[in-house]
Amino acid sequence: MHLTGYLLQRLLRGVVTFWFAVTVTFFLVRLLPGDPVLAVAGPGMTEEIRLQQLQLFGLDRPLAVQYFSYLRELVQGNLGISFLRSKPVTTVLMERMPWTLLLTSTALVLTVLLGIPLGVLAATRARGWTDKIVQVSGVIGQSLFVPSIGILLLYTLGLMAGIFPIGGAVKSGLTGVQYYLSVAHHLVLPCLTLVMAQLASYVLTLRSTLIEALGEEYCDLARAKGTPERKVIWKHALRNALLPTTTLIGLQIGFLVGGAVLTETIYAYPGVGRAIFEAVGQLDFPVLQGAFVLLAATVVVANLVTDLAYGLLDPRVRAG
Amino acid sequence: MIRTFRNAFTRRAVLLGGVVVAMGVAGLTQVNAQDTTRLVIGTTADVVNFNPLVGNSRSDVWVTNLMYPRLMQMTAAGSKDPYVATDWGYSEDGKSAWLEIRNDLTWSDDTPFTADDIVFTITAIVTEKIGVTAGLVPAFVSAKAVSPTRVEFELSRPDSAFLSNIGFWMPIVPKHAFPEIGSVASFANDSNWVSAGPFQLTTVEVGQRYVLEASDNYPLVEAGRATIDEVEFRVFPDVNAQALALRAGDLDVIANALPAPIARTLQGQPGITVEKAPSLGWSHVLYNMKREQLANVLVRRALAHSVDYAAIRAIAMQGLAETTNSSVISPVLSYWADPTITEYTFDPAKAKELLTEAGYVDANGDGFFDDLDLSLLYEQSAADVANWAQIMKDSAAQSGIKISLVGLERNTYLARGREKDFDIYAGNWAVMEEPAAYLGLAYRTDGFINYASISDPQLEAYIDEAQAATTPEAVKVPVQAAAKLIHDQVYDNVLYYQTFQFAFNSDRWEGLVMQPSDLLSLVNPLSLASVKPKD
Amino acid sequence: MTNNTPEAVQPSAAAGQLAPADLTPARRTWRAFRANGLGMGSAIVILIMIAIAIAAPLLAQFPSGYGIDILMPPSPQHPFGTDDLGRDVLAQVIWGTRISMIIGFAASVLAIIIGVALGVLAAYARRLDGAISMLVDVCLALPVLPLMILVAALVGPSVTTLVLVIALFSWPEVTRIVRSQALSVTRLPYVDAARTIGGSHIWIMTRHLLPAVAPIIVVSVVLTASRAVLSEAGLSFLGLGDPESWSWGKILFNAQRSGALTVAWWCTLFPSLAILLLVVSSTLVSIAYNDARNPKTREN
Repeated sequence: MHLTGYLLQRLLRGVVTFWFAVTVTFFLVRLLPGDPVLAVAGPGMTEEIRLQQLQLFGLDRPLAVQYFSYLRELVQGNLGISFLRSKPVTTVLMERMPWTLLLTSTALVLTVLLGIPLGVLAATRARGWTDKIVQVSGVIGQSLFVPSIGILLLYTLGLMAGIFPIGGAVKSGLTGVQYYLSVAHHLVLPCLTLVMAQLASYVLTLRSTLIEALGEEYCDLARAKGTPERKVIWKHALRNALLPTTTLIGLQIGFLVGGAVLTETIYAYPGVGRAIFEAVGQLDFPVLQGAFVLLAATVVVANLVTDLAYGLLDPRVRAG
Repeated sequence: MIRTFRNAFTRRAVLLGGVVVAMGVAGLTQVNAQDTTRLVIGTTADVVNFNPLVGNSRSDVWVTNLMYPRLMQMTAAGSKDPYVATDWGYSEDGKSAWLEIRNDLTWSDDTPFTADDIVFTITAIVTEKIGVTAGLVPAFVSAKAVSPTRVEFELSRPDSAFLSNIGFWMPIVPKHAFPEIGSVASFANDSNWVSAGPFQLTTVEVGQRYVLEASDNYPLVEAGRATIDEVEFRVFPDVNAQALALRAGDLDVIANALPAPIARTLQGQPGITVEKAPSLGWSHVLYNMKREQLANVLVRRALAHSVDYAAIRAIAMQGLAETTNSSVISPVLSYWADPTITEYTFDPAKAKELLTEAGYVDANGDGFFDDLDLSLLYEQSAADVANWAQIMKDSAAQSGIKISLVGLERNTYLARGREKDFDIYAGNWAVMEEPAAYLGLAYRTDGFINYASISDPQLEAYIDEAQAATTPEAVKVPVQAAAKLIHDQVYDNVLYYQTFQFAFNSDRWEGLVMQPSDLLSLVNPLSLASVKPKD
Repeated sequence: MTNNTPEAVQPSAAAGQLAPADLTPARRTWRAFRANGLGMGSAIVILIMIAIAIAAPLLAQFPSGYGIDILMPPSPQHPFGTDDLGRDVLAQVIWGTRISMIIGFAASVLAIIIGVALGVLAAYARRLDGAISMLVDVCLALPVLPLMILVAALVGPSVTTLVLVIALFSWPEVTRIVRSQALSVTRLPYVDAARTIGGSHIWIMTRHLLPAVAPIIVVSVVLTASRAVLSEAGLSFLGLGDPESWSWGKILFNAQRSGALTVAWWCTLFPSLAILLLVVSSTLVSIAYNDARNPKTREN
């Protein structure tokens, strides 16, 4: 398979994934119990108002009709009107999407940057004390319950030490460099929490694949040729060991983007995950649905990028 | 090999550590160049809808209250003082009403605030049946602006609560900046605001903050405008983190009522003051009259005797609650309350007696009466209610009544209430200040919030009489009779009225004005227009 | 709620290069496992927690009722302190162990059954492979936690809902791992032989493929369960837990809701530690087991 063919196939898969996510959430939202009209008109409304509201949002039409009209609107980039806010869903969500992207991509990049050296460290000292410490601390990091560690960090670093702000994404009224510094400053704690939760996956994966790779013949061959061990590790073995890590990134993005709900709650970070949780409580179906569409799109795009990276890294794909 | 590797690793670690430290230092050294005064207020939820006639979450009310004035001001005892409205009254036959307003108010675009705006607002509410206010003015027929400062209302029947209801519950919106009647309810009002309060919304960052700037003309305070320049509402989904932010000085005021453990900790902090305010509403349980068992008054009485009221107030509410003597008229409403009503006793033996009388037996000997398994519906995220629901379950078990807990998300909970899909409904009403009006809403057969499906002709007659009466003395008699009937028939079981606690940074600020209920609390327009920095 | 395991991340491409698990005698694995102190220690921790879960009624009374000693710090009478209704936190943690582990285990078993069935089927029936793999990839890309929140909130919270919701969104991971492992077995001569002598499909799948993936299933059960415990805690923390039972997440939710998270550290610390201990032990056990099974990493 050539790179183009491979990418085309991946693109197709991305489209199918996107469609599947949209469809699943569309029907989940509508078939589960919960009266969306209640959210608009309040608990005391008359039957007459109820029907009027149903009509207004097109909820009185058969489900199949609603579904296809939703898809048609979606293709044109229209996600509908929020029940509660009386404004377009895209407007509601676009204010939050950048924060989610910033938080998760920063966390992802930092995790990979930290995960690779730590994984190498653990693999080259396999079964030694360093290995055990790296493994155990990584595992502890990913096993921490996010709200607990969040409130602990806020208490110690935010309140007691006063180094970091408590909650929010940026200070108000700043411009230029100060604005970006403030964004970075607010990003530290939530990002740290996410990195802790993610790091072990990368370290452990890299560790096991690297141990595998270092035992392979081509590494022995390189050593026999007098290549320094450092070069064997970083140049020969790591290149192959990085493939599974790339796959892992693709797998983790879905989790990362959606899974930040708890982090966003504790740190009062204005992301999409939190918006979903609120929309569930308010039964604001269009917003809910729109948020899933955006998350699915993010995951699909991110996966395409990792697929591309994988294709470039993996000689089997490249050569076809 | 090991050493070189370690070096490579150490370099990276140092680099990353450096980045993190740099971020920290950068934050610390930020220069605060603001010379405007800004009060930062914490809230737990975003503003959902900026249309003051539609938005009904607390954050919605707190923010829009600062922009769209109400006609009257609520007093601590629930009565109304003049505010935008200076004088009001009814005709002798009670079938028309009038209202005079001040003449010095203007909208932020310099359009005068006139009687036309009031006519527009009430007509829109009634025509489009918007929110609770629509349910509060059943007698309204039409309104007319007879002069720029006088409105006259035509009523279908005498309604003693009409004026005070619109006075407190109806924020006035600008006719010239709102759409035609028919599309007012679906108007988002999310930009280019035209307001007439002490503040005006300027910046919205969803999920983070809402910034308001002081208006130049606000004649309702002595200075003619708010003392401070800006108000910022910041969203903290978690109350624990919110309290930390107040302690760290990131917040100046917390708008929402504090959970007891947090209030107690904050009380001990230097520079932080915790203030109390009574609720104008109450917390209660309703028994679904559509359920066969609960339609029997003996069972309802047995349930009323199976609640450990003292424990609920002392433990679940940590002492921050007072009894209403099981009456639907709280003692806070001192004029209306009936001192002869007494609280139901917590008496499991009596409850068992009543149930035996009603024909219930415990044939299988499991300690619970057979065929009496009741569910208790409540809102999971409301800490107080969730706590006393647990106590109610445990104390009912002592009477041999099995209660299972159904704690749900807010909207699913409301949906179940509306569909009358519950046995026992636990909840609270935020503001119940005008008995003649709220008795009709809550206990008429077709009442707006009559979730329990109560239908009693005698009760209906008392309510009719109270609403038709035109003097307070004439209203009082049937109102108290209705409350007595509700008490005797256990149509509603009021457990307590709450004392709310609010906190603010008293090192930096003074002059906040507390108003009753958590809808007004420390963040009411008068308070925020009066607050000023301490020197 | 993180999805990670050394096993979980082996790409299907690399699976074929691994030594098939069934060539390694179980006894050698056990000997290697026993030599791993971390793994053994973790296994003992898990066993103790299982014992606590089973013996909960003997160890503490079900935390109900209310007392006047509200939010008391740890004391000899209440070693873990009391919560905002005066209930003993130790009893809550003990009963929480029970519910959290039941939810974790039940959700994991359910996810494993679906996951293994589909994984084996995909590996064996080549025609279905494309569709199943696609389904798995697609499901893995869904934002899982928000979907769980959605379903749990709309259906109404209960232990059953939690188990079903968590299982419903956890199986694709299992399918992916099982499929890649089973795929390497289907290529082996003895499976072909079984096919040529006319063994029925079900027979081949249950007698040859299942045993081959069994070691992976063991690891998956442990890991999926520990992840389910974290998911449960997360959902409970957001107020979507069962109001009638105690889980670790619910203790934390109570503390969060009543504002005791920073005020009464004992309400936060002990359930958090319990979650940490269980998830860490599970992960370490599976790492140790994998290392012990793999001849390249086995200590001799």
